Amino acid sequence: MRKLSIVLCLALVIAAPVFAQGQAEKGAIEIGSAIYKFDDTFMTGVKNAIVAAAAETEAKVDVVDSMNIQATQNEKVDLFITKGVKAMQINPVDRTAAGVIIDKAKKANIPVVFFNREPLAEDMAKWDKIYYVGARAEESGTMSGQIIADYWKANKATMDKNNDGVLQYVMLKGEPGHQDAELRTEYSIKNLKDNGIKVEKLAEDTGMWDRVKGQEKMAAFIASQGDKIEAVFANNDDMALGAIEALKAAGYFRDGKFMPVVGVDATAPALQALEEGTLLGTVLNDAVNQGRATFMLSYDLARGITPTDASIGYTITDGKYVWVPYQKVTKENYKQFK
Amino acid sequence: MSTNTLANMVLGKRTVKQFVMDKAIFLVLLLLVIVIAIINPRILSIRVVRDVLMMSSTKIIMALGMMFVILTGGVDLGGGRLVGMAAVVSASFLQTPDYVRRFYPELGQIPILIPILLAVFVGTLFGMINGMIVAKFKVPAFIATLSSMLIIYGVTSIYFNMAPNNSQPIGGLRADFTYLGSGSIGFMPVIIIFAAVVSVIVWIVLNKTVFGKNVYAVGGNPEAAAVSGINITKTLVGLFGVCGFLISLSGVLEAARTGGATNNYGNGYELDAIASCVVGGVSTTGGVGTVSGVIAGVIIFSFINYGLTFIGINPYWQNIIKGLIIVSAVAFDIRKYVQKK
Repeated sequence: MRKLSIVLCLALVIAAPVFAQGQAEKGAIEIGSAIYKFDDTFMTGVKNAIVAAAAETEAKVDVVDSMNIQATQNEKVDLFITKGVKAMQINPVDRTAAGVIIDKAKKANIPVVFFNREPLAEDMAKWDKIYYVGARAEESGTMSGQIIADYWKANKATMDKNNDGVLQYVMLKGEPGHQDAELRTEYSIKNLKDNGIKVEKLAEDTGMWDRVKGQEKMAAFIASQGDKIEAVFANNDDMALGAIEALKAAGYFRDGKFMPVVGVDATAPALQALEEGTLLGTVLNDAVNQGRATFMLSYDLARGITPTDASIGYTITDGKYVWVPYQKVTKENYKQFK
Repeated sequence: MSTNTLANMVLGKRTVKQFVMDKAIFLVLLLLVIVIAIINPRILSIRVVRDVLMMSSTKIIMALGMMFVILTGGVDLGGGRLVGMAAVVSASFLQTPDYVRRFYPELGQIPILIPILLAVFVGTLFGMINGMIVAKFKVPAFIATLSSMLIIYGVTSIYFNMAPNNSQPIGGLRADFTYLGSGSIGFMPVIIIFAAVVSVIVWIVLNKTVFGKNVYAVGGNPEAAAVSGINITKTLVGLFGVCGFLISLSGVLEAARTGGATNNYGNGYELDAIASCVVGGVSTTGGVGTVSGVIAGVIIFSFINYGLTFIGINPYWQNIIKGLIIVSAVAFDIRKYVQKK
């Protein structure tokens, strides 16, 4: 048995290169890419877009998993520098930790494109070969608020169940402290208020971006608040779809009983729910264009070219930011996102 | 020893004390219900009972699987990821034909049982491999399952990221599949029936079969079990297989209950399952634990989760309260075993 296990270990070590992906061939432009964690649906979409964009060029992107630990990500950055990559794409685990990465990159003279989580402005100002690609999180909140606001204005008679002129809502938040979760929560409600709608928060809890937890929290909300709930906000689609399952179990979406639910992300199951008429609306966080813009920027930088609007195909703001807009998705336009 | 009255008093005191200790877990549950009901009386409704039982159903099946491993003094850290694998595998074959982003665009309508059996078979296989590694290579279960946690998650993610799915959440599940998770026969949700049937079968296996007695024997004292002629390897492979079977079954039902699946399903469930077992009186040193205790443990856990949301406790505080309840419940409960020894 001992011998067998030793032989097995050796065989695996020898065979390891077979599993290796994205290894540099001679002459290829190597770019290192660190994702904050691989089991995030949205970031996987961005990652796939980066890889797809790279496939059209002679560049090789080495994508690694930071496993949601900033220390691990820093180790990966050191590894990239040692390997001598020509540019790096970093999706920070902790946005305030970007400063350290920038210092390392500047010392090694390797340009960095940060994406999806925005470093602090003072860190971004440290070096001119630092770029950022992302979406304005508050925009997604504003848009989901707008979807509910539009529905409220058009259907006030049926939506305002207790006829008090106030919109009673529940909120399913993402991970507490997560920038997107905080901004989406804040700006969705801010938008309602800006529309002149009076609101009252009945309950708020975290579903940790998770469908199962979204369903369980919503079941508890329904039990404690009953028919008082007039709208459901979820920071992402997975939780929104979980909430819809809980609502179905409580008799909603049958016999004319409806509840407006909004999410963010426009995932495939969410589009299906839009078609079925259970989900009122969602907001597309454009993974494809975020990934593509990240790659195009780093590809130019890796070749020593200063990126311009024309060379990357996206608008660069303030010399270092590329903002990829969110899009409102409702029953009217969902077909174009399928 | 002394006078009758004194003896009676001592006896009376002892029985009350013993009763409190034996039923400590249930008293904790009762106390929780009372506290929450004072804050919001709406918790005392049939809907809440139904919600909590439905939430508990898949978790009971998983925790019962986990119990087999804990009975031998080990834990299965790969359990959570196995839930994810079973959910993704079963869901990927059970989408409606008109769903746009299908995992297998060309796949026809296949009998519902085939993907379920496939998912459960893979889970059982992973469990048996764990058992084999623990028995043959003497790798502690903690380490063996830590490795399989990584491997299972890697395999699931590769599968989940295959074109054309590319890591999109799997949705559009067939109605006959979601019926298993959210349908009901009369007033009784199907998923609760599942949990009840599994509980009864597990009880029979543990208490009325040779295999079950061997599990307790191997867990209580492996040397003595080996000397008395029990095949330790067979027992370990068998019980890890049962663990894999039950956990992947719970994963399939989790997909059916929520109507979707991603590779991140079940992340961290193993810790909840272990905590539920321990709260339910399963000893981490092996050999001690009952089906009813595990069920009580899971329900307490689900009720804590549900109840704290119900009365709107801040999520940060929820974690603190949960941690305190677990440690105090177990510290209280464990005293009865300490006393017996």
